[in-house]
Amino acid sequence: MLDEPFSLRLYRWLLKLYPAGFRENYAEPMEREFREELRESTSAAALGILWIRLVADLAVSVPLQLSREVTQDARHTVRLWGRRPWHTAFAILALAIGIGANTGVFSVVNGLLLRSLPFQDPGRLASLSDNFAPHDSAAQFHEWRRQSTYLADTALFEPFDVNLGGAGEWRRAHVIQASANFFSVLGTQPILGRGFAPGDDVDGTGWGSPGRNAVAVIGYGLWQALFGGDPKALGSTIRIDGTPLTVVGIAPPGFDYPGKAVLWKPAAFARGNNGWEAIARLKPGITWPQARQAFAAEADRLWPNRTPSQKIQSPLRITELRDQLAGPTKNASLALMACVVLILLIACTNVANLLMARTADRATELSIRSALGASRARLSQQLLTECVLLSLAASMAGVFVAFWTTSIAAKVQPAPIASQAYSILDGRVLSFAIAVSVLSGLLFGVLPSFYAGRVHTFEARGSSGNRGSRLVREALVAAQVALTIILLASSLSVGRAFVHLMRINRGFVPNGLVTVNVSLAGTTHQGDGSRLAYFLQALARIRRLPGVQCASATEFLPLYATGFVGGPFQMDGRPAKESSTVIRVLPDYFRTMGGRVLWGREFTDAEIQGNARLAVVNERFASEFGPAANAVGREVTIGRNPPWTIVGVVKGMDYMSDGKITGEKDFNQIFMPSHSPGGFFSTFVARVDGRAEDRLAMIRDAVQSVDPQVPVFGVKTMEQRLDDTLARPRFYRTAVLCFAAFALLLAVIGIYGIVAYAVARRTHEMGVRMALGTTPVRLRVSLLGQGLITIAAGAISGIAGATLSGRLLESLVDGAKAGTATTYAASVLFIAWIAAMGIWVATRPIARLDVVEILRTE
Amino acid sequence: MRWWRCGASERGAILDNTIESRAYCICFCTNMPSKDQSSAADLTPLSPAVFHILLSLGEGERHGYALKREISLRTGGKLKLGPGVLYGSINRMLELGLIEESDDRPDPHLDDERRRYYRITPHGRKVAQAEAARMRELVRLAAARFGVPKHA
Repeated sequence: MLDEPFSLRLYRWLLKLYPAGFRENYAEPMEREFREELRESTSAAALGILWIRLVADLAVSVPLQLSREVTQDARHTVRLWGRRPWHTAFAILALAIGIGANTGVFSVVNGLLLRSLPFQDPGRLASLSDNFAPHDSAAQFHEWRRQSTYLADTALFEPFDVNLGGAGEWRRAHVIQASANFFSVLGTQPILGRGFAPGDDVDGTGWGSPGRNAVAVIGYGLWQALFGGDPKALGSTIRIDGTPLTVVGIAPPGFDYPGKAVLWKPAAFARGNNGWEAIARLKPGITWPQARQAFAAEADRLWPNRTPSQKIQSPLRITELRDQLAGPTKNASLALMACVVLILLIACTNVANLLMARTADRATELSIRSALGASRARLSQQLLTECVLLSLAASMAGVFVAFWTTSIAAKVQPAPIASQAYSILDGRVLSFAIAVSVLSGLLFGVLPSFYAGRVHTFEARGSSGNRGSRLVREALVAAQVALTIILLASSLSVGRAFVHLMRINRGFVPNGLVTVNVSLAGTTHQGDGSRLAYFLQALARIRRLPGVQCASATEFLPLYATGFVGGPFQMDGRPAKESSTVIRVLPDYFRTMGGRVLWGREFTDAEIQGNARLAVVNERFASEFGPAANAVGREVTIGRNPPWTIVGVVKGMDYMSDGKITGEKDFNQIFMPSHSPGGFFSTFVARVDGRAEDRLAMIRDAVQSVDPQVPVFGVKTMEQRLDDTLARPRFYRTAVLCFAAFALLLAVIGIYGIVAYAVARRTHEMGVRMALGTTPVRLRVSLLGQGLITIAAGAISGIAGATLSGRLLESLVDGAKAGTATTYAASVLFIAWIAAMGIWVATRPIARLDVVEILRTE
Repeated sequence: MRWWRCGASERGAILDNTIESRAYCICFCTNMPSKDQSSAADLTPLSPAVFHILLSLGEGERHGYALKREISLRTGGKLKLGPGVLYGSINRMLELGLIEESDDRPDPHLDDERRRYYRITPHGRKVAQAEAARMRELVRLAAARFGVPKHA
């Protein structure tokens, strides 16, 4: 008997598990019966049996009653929705976009920043600045890496695009040459065969020497594609740029580091090759700050002669591998994430506002139900079910938005390695989605149910909404206005940056330009003597085609900046302040590209075939040494090489690096005749009449007809290439613009809703005021004034927020600047104007009020 | 508890306040057959709990606890209804119109006034009959097939 109070208390608490309606009706008799049974259970055993039976009873009946009542509530909710389909569709859509966009962008953040890299202990992996490690010979590199005090091991690698496979069946592939310890540093083992062994990497040029160096580990995908997953692939021969390699290992599925590589071979070290990148693993016990400190000290020791400007321009750094991989996209993804969180907040405030108004509208229903015995708990349960259903429906619709967002993001900003590919079918992303749905449900649901908690039995009819709830709703609108201004100001500065990007003069005319890549590596034309012949023959065929105005070729096409060669060039013995890049071209290049020759001329056929040592420099290089026009006829030199005579000065062209438009199209560029074209980025360019798209096939066929064995790829118009380049900024611009437009729409609907609601609730008051002599216009103006006060309140906090978010934006979009006073003023005025229109339209019914009719109902 | 507008054709529509229509007539509906009203046979087979409750109420009005005891006694302790199942069944039976709450107290001196009493409705009787008929058919079938011992 001693435990009776406890048993009773426990049972009373357990009764709360039943849904509200059932509890109201039956909790009391159930408790009473429990008391009686408790009285009868005198022994501990009897009490035990009583409890066992009760628990079984609860386990059966609670879910049953819960599902019945929730089904009732859900049915009621669906009926309510059916009565206001537009409201409901709008709420679901707003939340779906909010939840979906958040989930989609989070899948990107998850892929890039949160998901673990597919390497052993990836948190200890570092990326070192290019060319930091000594790399003139294999022995030099291995000796250096062994003596490190803070790095357990370091590996070098260099990426290439090559022709893979035999004659006629080649494909372009991204391959890596790496130091022998590459796989062991990453902690990745081939699933078949072996990795590299010490000594596989040697000194040499090109694809290295035969024997131990001529081996390869191939990617899982390539293994499937070339060998159908046959283990006999081990030991077979695979050709890259014509060089035979023996397959010794198969990489695990999904392993494509670095940068979608499909094949890895041991390195061939050559003095002067500065294309190496380095990854390292920290020694056990070394922390990141310690590693950075040791690295900085070593940098000073290894490279004592770096000038201050070099230190600023290309600082030596040790970074976490994950940060390095996420580098270019990290900030952008985070900024987008912030953007979509804002959208979700706006959507939530809007739906909350909508539900508040609806709950207030339903005050009579709720109060009558309450008068007839429905408890607050029952009513809250009803409202809660409505919210849960709403966010459930929105989440389901949001899945589609999320899929869509993710697939767009994958196109625009693909993950650097396969295992980081974005997917919403990931535990973390799904938990995030559920959390976002639940949180937003609480966010928009909590206010209405709070309000329902205060419905009093006989108050609702005729009462014109209490002041508190109006304040809450106005605060919601103000918050919405603030968030919208943030997005609007952001979209303005992003949009401006993009317009700037589009209008920029790139030094060439992209429309009407066809581009075709070829690679002579591994073909019969790869000998130095026959390369130019092949190119001239192909050019002759292109030029003969109808509709082709002129054609040329270059080793490096504008917009791309991989594998540049160059160095500290001098003019007439005076060194230039910055190093210059050499771009090899064939005759007619500037005419074909639509470039501008400012002074002098470009190369002629005869000069190219005659191995003339000539150069065309860009304006920027020329003007480093006095008036640019005077550069023609002078000489450029580098090292001990014989000089090149300048024959022309041109406007520089726009190149890119790291997926970012340099914006410095005027970095020093020196164009030289291409006596031996056909490198890995050789491109034919042809200027054509009419649409460039229509001439693609024709020009490709002409190039192929010279020798079908030569790989022809990258058949694109220059405009397509520019589009690809601008895809990312365009995506950001479109995303931010869409978000801002959506936010604006939500805000306007919110403002319209609150004013229309106020007008409807205060019809009687308006009628009285009009009877007392006020004109409808005056009433509307006063409502407009009230609405604008709310907007002004929101605008102030909005501008503060926009100032903060502007900084974030600068990292998001190339060339975006934090908002100026004009941007803010424009955003505020725009939203105020739109809102004023909304309010004016919403107050239209006042003009139609019939005073007599209103007063008669009194 | 269900509500609908008087005269509204849509059964079970929940009262809703719109600004335009302020006149309501509210009907309390516990003793009205709900939309679940259907022919007696459609509700069979009944769950043992429901059938036993109907059996007990066929004899007279009972409150929940009395029902439970009586059923336990009748089945020799084999069917002991837990409170959740008992009141869950009662709730459902009220909704189906098989039983209704009774305002009369058999003897106010004898019993606690707060207890709620239930009585069987004509519809409930029909359903109980239908269930009995169904069982009779089963018994007949079983007897034809296996025979029925006198003392099972």
